[in-house]
Amino acid sequence: MATLATIMDRFTTANGASGDSSRTRVMENEDPFEVPQFPNEDVYLYIKHIDNSRVLREADPAARKVCWRLIGSSFAFAVLVIGLLLPSLNQLMAGYRMEALRQERQRLELDRASLELAETRLLSPARLEELARMQRFVDPAPEAVVYLDGNKSDQILAKK
Amino acid sequence: MNPLATRRVHMLVRVAFVWAALIAARLIQLQVVQHRQYAQLARDQQEKLEEIKAPRGAILDRYGQRLAMSLPSESVCLDPLRVPDFAVASDILAKVLNLDSRDLLAKLKSAAENRRGFLWVKRKISREEAKRLRDLNLEWIEFRTESQRYYPNRSLAAHVIGSVDFEEDGNGGVEQSLNDELQGHAGEVLVTEDVQKRGFASSMQRQAQPGQDIRLTIDSRIQFVAEQELAKMVAQHHAKSGSLVAMDPRTGDVLAMANVPTFDPNEPPKHGEMAARENLAVSAPFEPGSVYKVITLSAALETTRLRPESMINCGNGSINLFGRIIHDHSRYASLSMADVLARSSNIGAINIGLQVGDKNLYQYIRRFGFGKKTGLPLPGESGGMVRPLRVWDKSSIGSVAMGHEIGVTALQLAQACSVIASGGFLIKPRLRMDAPVATPVRVLRPDTAITMRGMMEGVVIKPYGTGHKYARLLGYTSAGKTGTGQIYDYKLRQYTHLYNASFMGFAPVTNPAIVIVVTINGTAGTAGYGGPTSAPVFREVAAAGLRFMDVPKDLPEMLSPEGSDQADDNDVAIADLGSSIPPPLVQAGDAVAADDRPVASANNALDQRVLLARNGSAQQDFAGPRVPDFQGKTVRGVIQQAAALGIPVEFTGSGVARAQAPGPGAILPSGSWVRVQFGR
Repeated sequence: MATLATIMDRFTTANGASGDSSRTRVMENEDPFEVPQFPNEDVYLYIKHIDNSRVLREADPAARKVCWRLIGSSFAFAVLVIGLLLPSLNQLMAGYRMEALRQERQRLELDRASLELAETRLLSPARLEELARMQRFVDPAPEAVVYLDGNKSDQILAKK
Repeated sequence: MNPLATRRVHMLVRVAFVWAALIAARLIQLQVVQHRQYAQLARDQQEKLEEIKAPRGAILDRYGQRLAMSLPSESVCLDPLRVPDFAVASDILAKVLNLDSRDLLAKLKSAAENRRGFLWVKRKISREEAKRLRDLNLEWIEFRTESQRYYPNRSLAAHVIGSVDFEEDGNGGVEQSLNDELQGHAGEVLVTEDVQKRGFASSMQRQAQPGQDIRLTIDSRIQFVAEQELAKMVAQHHAKSGSLVAMDPRTGDVLAMANVPTFDPNEPPKHGEMAARENLAVSAPFEPGSVYKVITLSAALETTRLRPESMINCGNGSINLFGRIIHDHSRYASLSMADVLARSSNIGAINIGLQVGDKNLYQYIRRFGFGKKTGLPLPGESGGMVRPLRVWDKSSIGSVAMGHEIGVTALQLAQACSVIASGGFLIKPRLRMDAPVATPVRVLRPDTAITMRGMMEGVVIKPYGTGHKYARLLGYTSAGKTGTGQIYDYKLRQYTHLYNASFMGFAPVTNPAIVIVVTINGTAGTAGYGGPTSAPVFREVAAAGLRFMDVPKDLPEMLSPEGSDQADDNDVAIADLGSSIPPPLVQAGDAVAADDRPVASANNALDQRVLLARNGSAQQDFAGPRVPDFQGKTVRGVIQQAAALGIPVEFTGSGVARAQAPGPGAILPSGSWVRVQFGR
């Protein structure tokens, strides 16, 4: 079986090739029906049960200090990282908003220009003339226009 | 540790080192050696250079009404090399954009065969088309933002505004002459996009500079009335063309400039339409005819001892001018200088011109601004045609005195008329509101200008004046001069029986607010003279213009606009010009005259009626006498006439009679009186 360990063994064994040939020779002398060894079959492991139930952990003020120091430094690091990243993040979000606003502004400017065009068309003299004709309006007779003191258009009265 | 394990660890370390070395090498290759290439690739993918459109400036009238404006518009283009299926693509695009599918397919194939990576499908599409196309969400369709020029009032002031080509470069009118100011300069912004093509950062690469808005002195309301009335009269007289210029004589503001035929600048030029796009009012000089007598008489008042009441020899209708016989339209033995203008006597004008002298006349022609451009920002302006004095022959002064051998534009005539209206100052016409008013140059003495105003008013208010029936305004005093110049046919080398019918005038007389010059080209017959053709246009446009400008009336409105029934319909005539005279502007000494004149003795009709009424031989059923026409008479003249008829009169003001009630011809009931208003 070509495990990573066996592959590495091939590289690490000084005479890999001779090893293979000796193993081949051994296999030739062995019983062909014998089950081959598993890799690392010679390694035996056993479990030693240790009962620590009655062992009490001695309070270690230094460890607590180390722990708090670790927590503090981690927190400081996190704050630092967040502090460093936050402006960039804000900038990114602001960039999105600005781009959206820029496009919105372009759209609104286009809408405004379109409305101005529509307004101008509605107020064109030719259209007003057409409307006046449809409504049977007529230009005021000269004597129907009275100029009060001054010469302002808002002071013009139309006499009936 | 097991030596084998140790070896394994060592081996692992070596492999890891090699692996790390390979990665490092690759990183160095990517980030150092090929840094620029990959950075560029990244930029191409993430960054987009967007153009910030700088819209072309709008053109506004004097009150801010838009005459021309630009709107962003989208165009469709694509890369033919990216199109998956030409047939499908052409079908889709043709259907949405209303194009010819086969034509589009052929274009696509042609572009692909030539390895062209860009093809306009349709430019400046509507918003609806753009929306429908976007909804298809096809990645190979691209949109480009362009700009579309709109003229919301269509043909209104088309010759002044001009038009633009497809690239929004002006090709006529103000659009052309002020193109640099109107045209904006697009900016660029670099947009960084995320994977979803949403921009999240941008930096301005170049600031956009929008085009400058141009505010013209044109009053769109007056312009509209001017175009309507001019077109109506051109059609009514089957004339070839017509021009009108309205100016404010105090500032030189051009209030209206109309031409017929006209065009719609929204539409691209059609074949054969170029003539309609020509601004005749500034680019087409013509022989002005009798309106030019105003210049001759102004020069005479300045340089001779002639006064309005000075009698002028009219030669009984003909004059031998250095061997050249010139006939007048009517036989007058002599006329006062004022009546020479009112009756438009050609021989009278020639004799006045002779007294002025060619040097003085030429000097005043130049002073009035003829022979040089006015300087309006309009392309193709003509300076007119004024021949240098050294090439004048002996009889040239006769021709020039009555408006021949000289070419002027309608705009130049308006400028010259403004000299009279403004009290003797030449003020350059102005077309932009932000342009400073030109420094007035004194051309005439104030008293000369006032005298000329009175004489020009006589053309309108005297019963025999050539403009009496056509140019009188209701509620306002008006002054002017008619003119009818025969058109020379350069092919036939003779004068035709087609006329340039003109009228130039102003109102009100005492404090002129508007000067109007009307020229209708190609009229025929007696109805095609300056009085019946152009003066009514003046009347309508002046009445509307004065109302729009809120100019206070200077007359009570007691007269009918048609004037008294004593007015002579046939108040114009043409001099005998002959038929084989070379063009005056080409060959010196052969100028001829065409003119307006009243029919002789028509002014006696009023007196005859009055006498009939007084003698009781007509309309004896009425108890009182008929009211005579007092207009144009002095206080003394009115008193004398009223006393002779036994009519009590109430006076208001001083100067000459301008209005009366009851009107001329009315039967005055017993116990009532006639109110007469005088004005200067």
